[in-house]
This record gives sequence, structure tokens and C-alpha cells, in this order.
Amino acid sequence: MTWYFLRRLLLIVPTFIGITILVFVITRFVPGGPIERMIAEAQQASLQSGGGQQLGEGGQTLDEDQLRQLEEYYGFDKPVLVSYWEWLLKVLRLDLGTSTRYSEPVWDTILERLPVSAFYGIMTMLITYFISIPLGYWKAIKHNSHFDHASSFIVFVGYAVPSYVIGIILLVVFAANLEWFPMGGFYSEDFEDLDSFWQQAEDILYHAVLPLLAYVAGSFAVMTFMMKNALMDNLAADYVRTAIAKGLPFRKAITRHALRNSLIPIATHFGNNISVIIGGSFLIEKIFNIDGLGLLGYESVVERDYPIVLGVLVISAILQLLGNILSDICVAIVDPRVQFK
Amino acid sequence: MLGFRLDPLTQKKLQRFKSIRRGYYSFILFVLLVLLSVFAELLVNSRALVVHYNGEWFFPTYGAVIPGKTFGLDYDYETNYRDLKKRWADDPDNFVILPPIPYNPYENDLRDGEYPPFPPSIEDRHYLGTDTTGRDVAARLVYGFRTAIFFSLILLFASYLIGVSIGAAMGYFGGLFDLLFQRIIEIWSNIPFLYVIMIISSIMIPNFAMLILIILFFGWIGMTWYMRTATYKEKAREYVMAARALGASNSRIIFLHILPNTVSIIVTFIPFSVANGIIALTSLDYLGFGLPPPTPSWGELLAQGSANLESIWIVASVVITMSVILVMVTFVGEAIREAFDPKKYTTYE
Repeated sequence: MTWYFLRRLLLIVPTFIGITILVFVITRFVPGGPIERMIAEAQQASLQSGGGQQLGEGGQTLDEDQLRQLEEYYGFDKPVLVSYWEWLLKVLRLDLGTSTRYSEPVWDTILERLPVSAFYGIMTMLITYFISIPLGYWKAIKHNSHFDHASSFIVFVGYAVPSYVIGIILLVVFAANLEWFPMGGFYSEDFEDLDSFWQQAEDILYHAVLPLLAYVAGSFAVMTFMMKNALMDNLAADYVRTAIAKGLPFRKAITRHALRNSLIPIATHFGNNISVIIGGSFLIEKIFNIDGLGLLGYESVVERDYPIVLGVLVISAILQLLGNILSDICVAIVDPRVQFK
Repeated sequence: MLGFRLDPLTQKKLQRFKSIRRGYYSFILFVLLVLLSVFAELLVNSRALVVHYNGEWFFPTYGAVIPGKTFGLDYDYETNYRDLKKRWADDPDNFVILPPIPYNPYENDLRDGEYPPFPPSIEDRHYLGTDTTGRDVAARLVYGFRTAIFFSLILLFASYLIGVSIGAAMGYFGGLFDLLFQRIIEIWSNIPFLYVIMIISSIMIPNFAMLILIILFFGWIGMTWYMRTATYKEKAREYVMAARALGASNSRIIFLHILPNTVSIIVTFIPFSVANGIIALTSLDYLGFGLPPPTPSWGELLAQGSANLESIWIVASVVITMSVILVMVTFVGEAIREAFDPKKYTTYE
């Protein structure tokens, strides 16, 4: 078993290299990179400051020397694989480079956004479990009842409609029209002035209601059905029948036997949460204007800030790969029958 | 009646599918909507269905542009049939029959002294209002649906073709081939493919085929994985061994024996793939990285609507349409899954 997980851990290395090299190569061969962006910006600046005078130079404001310096600075002067290798060595020293847009270390920018995404990730996970497990439980017990059918409909809608569309619906109804909740942001502008910790917490929660609803709507459906189906499978299993035949009250047969086994598939799913916790959905973050990692990644792609794109990719890839392994470890812990070889 | 007979098992599955009302009716309605969308030009169009002028009949819907002079108007460009209808309102001999929604998805309905977006109005036949540039929302929804659904279906066909072939080969041959593709799939599934699509499509504005190719490049893995597992399981069964003992070739075993037995797995995934295709296109369009404007699309309407929340009809129309279609597809999917894999549960009172 230990050997199995060790091998899985070692396999992270080639997969990680595969992922990063692919994205690295794409960012290198796509035009409109940071240098082109800088040239465009410099042109604009000179247009604004110099008026019509400098237009005669053909608009090229950076001369050959400066261009070469810039290329050297970003490592564009070397072959792809060489600069990838240099980038990888830097990553191993936990140096993710400097953002071309903010001119500050990528690592700092990411750490700044991380708590926001983590807050939403953890809250979403907790609420999802909190809703899905009891709901799945009741749907299984009351299978085919009115309650089951009515709640199925909601679950179906939550499953079918993408969560960012649900986010838009919530925004239109509860923020724009009813004005119950703010239009977006992580906290209000006067957050720093709020006196107590509780007021600050309240402010964050007030802003978090709609985004959290959108996140949860997108994730509780799968989990609820997983819970329901697992419990129904177990209720139909012979060991529960035996327990009831021996005179165990129904409720006890469920809580002591069926429920425990039904949590196995939920546990399998646990590892996936890790990447969700920090990844977030950039669509939801974009709609609600939350400065999380998802939005950071999205904006960096749009603005061609490749060091940040690659930095976010490094972190999310590692977490995802670790999450997959963690899932398997969870299964092994919960279900001793599972043997990994 | 039919040229071939379905085997009893498939008949039973069909029967079960029909007995699940919610899914069955959703399926019929959905197919109907797709068929209608093929003939959208007859329902939503600025060209008239029928024009009767001086004893002659015209059917302008399909075919070349009919200039205004043909109908005694003073211009050479395409006839404005809505004006023509108004002009002939009292004329007993000549008449125009317009489609139910007499606007095409590209034309801007501009008026003097007023600025779009215009709210819904039955009088102007803008049943769902217009968007911010004065284009009819209903028209754009209908044509957007057609784009999305055919996009999704083509994508589905292509990705299943790749996924089923590679997956079956992985499961059947195993060994080094299997190991290699397992690694590739692991890498592929960890790439944030929306980012990559955004990077690619921000440098070259992709057309329909290009966008399908890009999404296909990252989207083939899902089916591959399921197919691998299914083939792997089937391969271990006796009938495969029997076929091989009788001297059947590999390709014969895969195509004639294993594939028909895995069809049920493929079929259960289809509705969910259709929904995912629609969602993928809509999300990309929403972000502005999808099909180039002015292609009518749900994502573009969604972006417009959420940027103009005071024109509530835009966002409401597209969100409701999208939710209804996606929920319908999900109902179909759930019914198919139920029909192919019925679970008879023991329940306790």
C-alpha cells in the first residue's frame, strides 16, 4: 500500500512536467505576448505625451537594443526548451518570477488572493456536505414520495444549469431588483473602518451570500444523488435485511450499518475538493467581482501576464494531482477492503 | 415494418424509456425544437413567407434577394417586407404573409428619436424586446439555439469517434499503449483548457469549425476513459475468449463483439455531452472568446444582459430559455440512464 502511494507520488513529476511544458510552449508561440504589449503601451504613452511630433518615427518607440534587453529579461531570446528548463529550476526554488503587469513577485500576488478563494472554497465545501448528506439521506428513506420528487426537481435544475448562470439569476433578482444583497466584491469599501471583528465578519458574510449560493447550487446536486444512490444500494443489501430480520429497529439499522457504508463514495470525492478550494470558478468570481485566484488567472490570460498564468497553473496542477491521491487515501482509510497494488 | 428488428433487450429498454414520462416527453419536445430550428428561416426572418403581387406569387424565404423594384418600390436593394405589408394594408389584390417573428437576427431595428434596447412589445412583434443594438432578442435566441445545438452535436460525434476508438484500443490491447495514453489523459485532464482556449482564440478569432477543433483537442478524454474501462471489462468475458478461440481477428472482436456490448454505456452519456457542448460554447461566447460577432449566440446575449441589468428582458429571456433547454436535456439523460440500468430497490416501510 505504502509502495503504491509512493509510486503515485513519483508519477506526479512526469505529469506535472507534461502539463506545464504544454502551457509553457503555448504561451511562447502565441503572438501578443508581454513584449508586444509593452511596445503597444509605449506607443500609446508617447502618443499621449508627445502629441503629433513623434509620429514621424513610424510609431516604433523602442529601439533594437531595448527590444533585445526586454527579450533577454523575459527569456524570449533562448530556445523554448532551454527557457522552460530555466523556468522549472526557478519553480523548484519556489521562485515563480515577476508579474509583467503588476511588476511584483507572482508568489506575492497569488498569496494575496489565496485567502479569498480559500474562504469561498471551504465554505462551499462545508455547506455542500451539510446540505447533500442529510438531503440524500432523506431522499433515500422517502424514496418515491412527494418530497423525493419535489426535491429531485430542484436538484436537477441545480445540476443542469451552469453555476455562473445561476449566479447571474441571483444577481438580477436579489441584488439588482430587490437590492437585498450587494452587487459584488469581497467586502465593502469601508471595510477597514469597521470596528470590531464581528462587524467585519458580518460584512464579508453579507457579500458572500449570493456567490456562495451560486457555488453550492453547482456542486450539491452531484453529491446529493451520490449520497442517495449509495444509501439506497446499501438499504437493499443483504446485511441490512439481516439486521432488520434480527429485530434491529429500522433507524438503528440505517445509522449503524447502511449510513456508514454509504459515506464511502462521498469520501472518495473528498480529495477533489482541494483543487476546488483554491481554484474557484473564475466565471462566478468574474460575475460577482471577487478578487480570487480564478479571476486572477482569467485576467492574466486576457492581459498576457504569463508568469502569473503559469504560477496559477503550477499551484492548481500540484493541488489537483495531490487531491487525486488524497481521494484514494481517503478510500483506503474508509473502506479497508480496498487494496491498492 | 422496419427493415431490421430490434432485439428484445433493446425493445425492453425503449419501452422503459417511454414509460418514464418526464424524460420521454422532454425527448420528443427537444427533437421537435431541433427540427424546427432547422427551418428557423420560415419562422423567424425578415423575409416574407409569401408575397402576392399583381397576380404573381413570390416565396422569398430561400433563394436570391428580391429587389424592391420587383414590387413597384423605388429601390434596388432588398425589399423591406414589413414596410411592404404596411403599404399594402388596404390593397385587396396584393398581400404579404410574414413569419411569426418578422426580424432576422442580424438587422438593427433603428428608430428616430429612440435608442435601443426596446422593451418587449406585441405591436412591433418584438415579443422579447431587442438587445442593445436593436436586434430582436427572440430571433437571436432561436438562431443562437440552432448554432449551439449543431455545434454541440458535431462536437459530440467527433469526440465520441476519437474517444471510443482510443478507449477501446486502450482497454483491448492494454500494455504499453494503455500506459502511454493513461499518462496523456492525466496530463490533458489537468490542463485548465478554458485558459488555453482563451489564449488561442484571443489571437485568432475562431470560426465554427476552428472552435470545434480547439475544444475537441481538449475534450476527447472523457469518453476515452469510460470506454477503456468498459472494453477492459468486456474483454475478460467468455464470449470474447470464445470468439478468439474460433479464430476471430482483433478488429472483428472489437467491432462485432465488444462494441455492441458497450453501446449502452455510450448512449447514456450522450445527453450529458449535448448539455456540456452547449454550456462550453455559451461560456466561451459569454467571455467573448467564442464565435465572432455578430453570430447570434446565447453567451453573447448573456453578456449583454448581465451588463445591462436595467433591460431585464434580455437577461431574463436568455436565462430562462437556457435553463429550460438544459433541464430538458438532463431529464432525457436521466431517463435514458434509468432505462438502461434500472435499479429495483427494496424499500422498507
